[in-house]
Amino acid sequence: MYELKTLLPQFDIKLPTCMYELKNVSLSADPATSISSGGCSASEFSSSINSRNSVTCALDLDILGRQIQHLLKQDDTASIAMRQEKVLQQLEALKAQLGKIRADLGVCGKTVQHTTAYQNGGLKEVPLQDIVINGHPNFIPYALLALKNAWRDLYTVNVKTFTHSTMADIGPAAREFEAKLAKIPVNNALPNINVTLIWKNCEHTEMISSPTMYVPIYGEVNVIRYLGRVGPVEYRYEGSPLCNEIDLVLDICYQLLRCSTHKAQVAMVRLLDKRLQQQQYFGGSQMSVADIGVYSSLIRIPAITDKDLTPALLAWRKRAKLVTQI
Amino acid sequence: MVEDKENVANGEQVSKKGAKKLAKAAKKAEQKAETATAIAANNAAGDSAEDSALGRYGLSEMIQSKDKRSERNFVAVHELSSHLEKGLLWVRGRVHTSRSKGKQCFLILRQQSSTVQCILAVGDIISKQMVKFAGNIPKESIIDIQAKPVSVPNKIESCTEQTLELCVEQIFVISQAKAQLPLQIEDASRPENADDDGLNIRVNQDTRLDNRVLDLRTPANQAIFRLEAGVCRLFRDILTEQGFTEIHTPKIISAASEGGANVFTVSYFKDSAYLAQSPQLYKQMAIAADFDKVYTVGAVFRAEDSNTHRHLTEFVGLDLEMAFKYHYHEVLHTIGNTFTAIFKGLRDNYSREIESVGQQYKVDAFKFLEPPLILQFSEGVAMLREAGVETGDEEDLSTPNEKLLGRLVKAKYDTDFYILDKFPLAIRPFYTMPDPSNSTYSNSYDMFMRGEEILSGAQRIHDPEYLIERAKHHGIGLIPPKLRHTSSPSRYGLPPRTPAGGIGMERVVMLYLGLDNIRKTSMFPRDPKRLTP
Repeated sequence: MYELKTLLPQFDIKLPTCMYELKNVSLSADPATSISSGGCSASEFSSSINSRNSVTCALDLDILGRQIQHLLKQDDTASIAMRQEKVLQQLEALKAQLGKIRADLGVCGKTVQHTTAYQNGGLKEVPLQDIVINGHPNFIPYALLALKNAWRDLYTVNVKTFTHSTMADIGPAAREFEAKLAKIPVNNALPNINVTLIWKNCEHTEMISSPTMYVPIYGEVNVIRYLGRVGPVEYRYEGSPLCNEIDLVLDICYQLLRCSTHKAQVAMVRLLDKRLQQQQYFGGSQMSVADIGVYSSLIRIPAITDKDLTPALLAWRKRAKLVTQI
Repeated sequence: MVEDKENVANGEQVSKKGAKKLAKAAKKAEQKAETATAIAANNAAGDSAEDSALGRYGLSEMIQSKDKRSERNFVAVHELSSHLEKGLLWVRGRVHTSRSKGKQCFLILRQQSSTVQCILAVGDIISKQMVKFAGNIPKESIIDIQAKPVSVPNKIESCTEQTLELCVEQIFVISQAKAQLPLQIEDASRPENADDDGLNIRVNQDTRLDNRVLDLRTPANQAIFRLEAGVCRLFRDILTEQGFTEIHTPKIISAASEGGANVFTVSYFKDSAYLAQSPQLYKQMAIAADFDKVYTVGAVFRAEDSNTHRHLTEFVGLDLEMAFKYHYHEVLHTIGNTFTAIFKGLRDNYSREIESVGQQYKVDAFKFLEPPLILQFSEGVAMLREAGVETGDEEDLSTPNEKLLGRLVKAKYDTDFYILDKFPLAIRPFYTMPDPSNSTYSNSYDMFMRGEEILSGAQRIHDPEYLIERAKHHGIGLIPPKLRHTSSPSRYGLPPRTPAGGIGMERVVMLYLGLDNIRKTSMFPRDPKRLTP
């Protein structure tokens, strides 16, 4: 370190006479004795340094170094360590005592939850958010019903339906859809997700999970993707090798729903046929969220009749109907 | 007329024959004056001669029910659009504003909350004098006009009837207002836009209340109180349809009805009595008397010295009470559905009123779900925690938390009305029935509009033994004498019941319209500082 020059001339300060004079406490302690005495506490130690400084008005590195060396050599570090040990033990005892009191009072629930959450690889378990889906009665999200049926024995999609004040009448198709949703029995033993479906005068089907992190998910296929992620393991596709294929099919569905002309819709159907080829389901022999997406999209477009579908698609549709039951 | 004047002048001349000199001078002066009056008379005569519109305008004589004038076909301003191009019709209304400019006069006619622009232009039918007369009618005078509705190419932004105007052919003042008014309706009805660069004159709430008659004429106030009437009517209709019976309860009572100390005392002959804080006890007695489902609409008094935007000392309470079979949710759903039905009725039948309130006070339309959204208290707490608010499981919602929860629910479910169910038992009174599945919660609920509580209810313990047990648990040895009557009817066998608590009509209207002060939705509000008008 750089050494700094003393700014004030030594002992040349003229004190005003209107003040009481106090004894200089630090000067009374002799720096030499404090070093030799060894077992000094931290406060004494600092005061001894202060006293040195007050005399020289500069940090005497030599003395400081000597003191540190001296302290390190002393075996009282061991005594400090022992003291710490003892304090920790006392704390443990206190904790156990508190725990017992808590158990007696029957308020232990929360702490137990916390510890298990943290033991779980340091990951905090957050309960699954209830989700809200806003849909227009003209664009009924049939995928919800399809998923509910397909997951009947795996996972409970608990759908509650509401009508928003912006919709005066939801029409017969939506009412029928509501009735069908309500018909499926709810199995509370299975893992479940609560879905609130609100008929609303909105442009897109949108999904909201958390109001504080308000990032709506637009489009029915994206809602399917979300549900596919939180749903049963059998339908989680992100880890599967068919991941890209399924995403592609869902993207085609998205485009299909946006097509305004019949010609464009048929072109999309042809694309779907290309993806299906001779497979049992989209992306293999297992039913996946891609099938749900395609199935529900085709229901939403009544303009596409059996005539527009290829034999392979028609056969697929029959197979899918057994699962989705719409 | 001119000849008449000359005759009079000649007569005077004859009478002053004696003093010839004087007479000469006088004659000169006389002649001067004569010519002057002649000119004036000439002018007047000329004017009246030219006034082709004489009889088409003027002050109407006092209406003493002399004629029925049934030939006059009066049309309401808001129905004018259906009478377009159908010829002349009559309209009665108030002069909202009128300004004449040369040969034209624009007059805005107001009828309740509808306004329409009227135009008088000098022409075949209308004379200059008539235009002048129309321009000088004081504001707020009542007038009858005969006019022809004509559609206009450009929208008239300042009126509610934006697509048409009236071409006036006759105009009569029925009742003239004073030229100076304590407040201008224009100022009182100016939209509350912060970014408006124009005139920014506002009428203070107290000035409005002091001159309530004038203030109530603004389109927004007209709409508010029509809508308020709608709330009452819908409440009655909906409940009557569901088999409820309307009852009327006394307002002068002998003991405080809700345990609280905040009652008004009135002298009652040699004794004193209290003004009813709620019809609670009488509703209960009606239930115990097997009326099964009852409701009442009536004044409720609270002697609370709270000067806030949401408290009044007298308000109209909409109360209902019903016995239920097995589950208090039967009641919860009835109340919730009643609210939704009221909101739906307002949305469908009162859109015009809502719109005209919206023109003055910028607020979002009230949104709701059908069936009403019911959240559990624990779900609400979870939502608050997620938003970063530290709140205990058994802690009551503070007012800011209540508002925040309202915003969160709005963001997620897009509804301004929701029900919070299953409140913690600890924060509810001892007579609340605990939840059968989890004893930390209770069978109690609150209902919220735009994040403010409007109703609080709970299943009350109807079993006297259990009530005493719960009271002991709460450290209440004996039921306080003031509350004793709540348990007394149970001695005669009481059906399970859920007092719904009172719904303040003014508060419901205030929150439905999104207004900031309850005094705006009470026609003649009573608060700790106001007993008049």
